Parts: sequence; C-alpha cells; structure tokens
Amino acid sequence: MPLNFAPVPRTTPSGPSRLERFAAGDIGAFESLFREFQGQIYRWVVRIVRDRGVAEDLTVEAFWRIYSSRARFDPTGNFSAWARRIACNLAIDALKRQRPEVALLVEPSAEPAADPAVSRETREKIARAFRELPAKLRAAATLALIEEQQYEEIAAALGISVNGVKSRVFRAVRILRKKLQRMGIEP
Amino acid sequence: MNDDRVKELLRAAIPRPGDAELKRDLWPDMRRRLDERRLRVSAFDWVLIAAILASMMLFPQAALTLLYHL
Repeated sequence: MPLNFAPVPRTTPSGPSRLERFAAGDIGAFESLFREFQGQIYRWVVRIVRDRGVAEDLTVEAFWRIYSSRARFDPTGNFSAWARRIACNLAIDALKRQRPEVALLVEPSAEPAADPAVSRETREKIARAFRELPAKLRAAATLALIEEQQYEEIAAALGISVNGVKSRVFRAVRILRKKLQRMGIEP
Repeated sequence: MNDDRVKELLRAAIPRPGDAELKRDLWPDMRRRLDERRLRVSAFDWVLIAAILASMMLFPQAALTLLYHL
C-alpha cells in the first residue's frame, strides 16, 4: 500500500491553479505536485532500472528537471504524463550507462517463476542477454513483456507512438531470440 | 524458438519486482537539491565578475560609469 506523505492542499479557493503557480515558479505548488506524484514516477522508474537506490535518485533528478523546465510547461496540459515522460527518458539514459554484468537488484515477487523447468543457469544467461539489449528496446520490452503495462501507457511514458512501442518490443524479442539461439538455449 | 517462447523464457528469467512502491518521502532530498542549486554561482557569473573586477583595476575611472548604470 502506498505511503501517504501528507500532500499540501491542491488548490486555493480563488486565484491561479496549482499548475499555473508551479509554472510561475511557486515552490509550494511544486512541493504539492512532488508529494502527489513522486510515488507514481518512482514506480515507473524502478520498473525500468530495477534498482531502488538508482530509482530514488532518478526520481529526484526527474523532478529537478521538471522544476527547471517549468516555464515550458503548459498549465492546461497533463502534468503526470509530462513528468512520466521526463522520468522515463532519464531511466533509459541510466540503462545506457548500466553494465550488462550488473544483476537486477529489485527483489522478485513472491509469485512463482513462469516456467520452473528453466534452470537457474539458463535464467541467468537469458537475463544477461536481455541486459545487453539497447536501452530503448530493453525499456519497452521490460514494460510490455515483464510488467505487462498497456501499450498506450508505455507509449505515453516513452513519448512515442503505440506502433513505436510495438516495433521496439518486436525488435527486442527478435534480437533476444537470436542471442538465445547463439547461446544454445532451445525450448 | 518462436516469439511466445522467448517471452516465456524472459518472464522466467526476469521476474517482476515484488514491491515497486516508494518506501520513503523524497521531498527532503529534493529540497536539498533545490537549495544547493540556488546557492551555486554559475561559471558564466564568475567570468562576468572577474571581467568587471579586471576592467575596474585597469580602468579605475570606469567604476563611476558602472556605478551610474547600476
């Protein structure tokens, strides 16, 4: 269950909206938005980078960029989608810097593995091959195939079209299949 | 090996994180970051300050002109 970090009241009875105040540089409005959306942004980032510490740092970095670009934000627009896009781009940049040999640090869920017949060694090989994929393909494939997010949501978060997401996932699977075949992994 | 099998193997190798929820409030970190940036003087500002000081040392009479424009 998400923690409640006591958000600041969203609107004032009269006067500019919270988003208008944020765009004008009001730190109180920014704090209110930060407290409301930090959990959501973190969830997207941690699903991509799969490391809690890195995801926390990237969430703060994303909000720093959001605050720095506030003048370019349209207060009638969708803050959540805009913030998610900035955060996901940062997460992809982090994946580009990540070495493939670094294992995933997020604890797996209590659910049993999809295929218990797959040996530990094979799983490690697959995970390694996956980490060697280009960051953009890996992010799209992680969100679509492992996290099972809707393609529309992924497209909005990555700032590309639904067909763009499908294309990235398709390319990721194709590259992965070739890598697995080269490794001698067959069903 | 077909695409569905690749997806199955992928899900077996990379399980979903058990809990992707944020465990702590990040606002204190954000606040620190904002305060640091506010106190930081950009390189451009330092160059500007150095240029003004140098010009005042070379041309002391220019200080009056500068003060007039401030």
